[in-house]
Amino acid sequence: MILDTFEALAMVAAIFAILILGTTHLRTNLSFYSLHTMAIAAVTAWIANITHEDHLYLVALGVLFIKSFSIPWYLNHVIRKINIGTDGGAFIAAPLSMHLGALMLGLSFVISQQIPGLIGAPDSHVGSTAAMSILFSGVLLMLTRRAAISQIVGFLVIENGIYLFAVTQTHGMPLMIEMGLLLEVLVAVMVAGLLLFNIKKSFEHIDVSQLTDLKD
Amino acid sequence: MNDLLYLIALPATLALLSLFIKDVKLTRKLVPVLIWWQLGIVALVLHPCLLGADRMEFISGLAVDKMGTYFILLATFVVSCCITHADYFFAAAEAHGDGYGDQQLRLFYASVNLFLLAMTSVFLCDNLGYLWIAIEATTLSSAPLVYFERNKFALEATWKYLIVCSVGIAFALLGTVFIFAASQRGTLSVPTLNISELISQAHALNFPLLRLGFIFCLIGYGTKAGIFPLHTWLPDAHAESPAPASAMLSGSLLNCALFGIWKVSSIINAAQPHSHVHQLVAILGTVTVVAASLLLLRQHNFKRLWAYSSIENVGLMVFAIGLGSGPLFFLQALNHSLAKVALFLLTGNIIQASGTKKLNKMHGVIEDCPIWALLVTLAAFAVTGAPPFGAFVAEISMLSLSMSDERWVLALIMTVAIAISFVAICAHVGKVILGPAKQGFKKFQPLRASIIPAVLVFCTFVLGLVVNTEAWSGPWSMIK
Repeated sequence: MILDTFEALAMVAAIFAILILGTTHLRTNLSFYSLHTMAIAAVTAWIANITHEDHLYLVALGVLFIKSFSIPWYLNHVIRKINIGTDGGAFIAAPLSMHLGALMLGLSFVISQQIPGLIGAPDSHVGSTAAMSILFSGVLLMLTRRAAISQIVGFLVIENGIYLFAVTQTHGMPLMIEMGLLLEVLVAVMVAGLLLFNIKKSFEHIDVSQLTDLKD
Repeated sequence: MNDLLYLIALPATLALLSLFIKDVKLTRKLVPVLIWWQLGIVALVLHPCLLGADRMEFISGLAVDKMGTYFILLATFVVSCCITHADYFFAAAEAHGDGYGDQQLRLFYASVNLFLLAMTSVFLCDNLGYLWIAIEATTLSSAPLVYFERNKFALEATWKYLIVCSVGIAFALLGTVFIFAASQRGTLSVPTLNISELISQAHALNFPLLRLGFIFCLIGYGTKAGIFPLHTWLPDAHAESPAPASAMLSGSLLNCALFGIWKVSSIINAAQPHSHVHQLVAILGTVTVVAASLLLLRQHNFKRLWAYSSIENVGLMVFAIGLGSGPLFFLQALNHSLAKVALFLLTGNIIQASGTKKLNKMHGVIEDCPIWALLVTLAAFAVTGAPPFGAFVAEISMLSLSMSDERWVLALIMTVAIAISFVAICAHVGKVILGPAKQGFKKFQPLRASIIPAVLVFCTFVLGLVVNTEAWSGPWSMIK
């Protein structure tokens, strides 16, 4: 099977997402996230090039600046301030969850062939496989990690998966919506970051599995 | 375009002003007055829809139909009531010596206005993408309200609220993408996310993809609405935020998410009436009501009790959506909002005066403050759907509609569940109201704190008397 450039880039993004699963070192996680998002921005630009949908170039720029530079920079700033280097402990050991992620990639390939409406559009299978695998990686990250910051990264990875799905399957949603989404993600991360400072201040840890005071 | 500016200008300005006005006392008086004014503006701008016009379009992608108009009015009304009561709430907190800092209050008022702005825009959206953005904006703008108390519990509740709702809503985004793909892979000339276009050309959509999109949207917006078993954030957020904020979350925020479910379910209903996947909605509603009514039985916290009652009501509204009845959905939402806001505000009063949230530490409110006891009882009856209050009309119409739809199994289960929740709530409220007073209330002003709840209870009482069952039970009558 010979991959198109954008398909290869989408796969690169999926592999970076799996690599995020492979380490509990938070700054490495963020660097991988940044590279992963860069690959997604490149996919967007490449699809804009193929389909001549010029608004996608703008979206690609937005993704690059907001999701690939600003958000990792901000989160790096947060972890430097709260002085936490690694994720305290994952429920599933990091190497194991990376292998699970790789398994999910295969699973996504099977699932993406099952999605009813997509049959008959063979050009998009690799794209949707990558997107879905990114989605699963994000979910896995949120489920297996304890540090609050990994939860944020997991959410961002899920969001990236959905975005990649939109770009490869529908060639991007309308510009206004994409820009709204970017803004929304940025604000959500800022709010979550501010909360993170407070969690560190009041609990002296950022282990979300210990946030269990509220019960019926 | 101008009309749109009128709708959003005041909350946007107030959000900025409340951050910068130095004297918080001024903000506390000014904001309620202006939000009531905003209610007038909304009614004035949207009066064509109230008088009979089917929809008003502002710009492409932003339009409001009859149901949207009613919901905007309801949301603005709820916010005005809560913010008016908030002045008393903060004054009482100060009188008890645990007043809040100025900066904290400034942020509170700014967030309330942003929250109102976000909710107004939810109902103005005629585009699935904008709808998603607006609903996520309601989460972000209400997070500071949940975190208001600044303690560990509030922090945990806010974190859960933010993460669970954001991830849940991310699935609604995936659903939106699927629906967009459905419009591209159908026989539609131009792919679109415009809700009214999607409804009018629903037959031209690719149905399998639409179905997939619908399921994801249902899960996503359902998380935000608190459908069982995705409701985990809801009791925490409602119990830990201050009373006026809990009232707003319950009385207006949940409606936003349910409105999203209503919109996508209208699309799938137009594409294929009575599809199997749409049956899922009524079933989900029933499951939610059953689960909530069972959970209501063992509650130990006064505010969590009302949070679970909200989940039960969300189940009822989802059930109405599943029956395809817009009017009943709105009627249930209206009655729930009125009664539940009254309850949360009164509960806030009682908690402030008695200094505890625990149900087993509260007894004999009727001796300490008869008027609150009376209002709590009435509002609790109203929220459980006892006659003669408005919710009774909504629930009985819903049940009879589902009977006539030959979904009598669901109707039967629903009836039992509603009965259980009625008993549970009566038992808990009875223990709080009756018996000898134990807790010794701190200084409080019973009358000033009762005005808003009394007005709300009166409204839902009047609704129960004037609303005609016949007019509301037709599947698509009155509000289209």
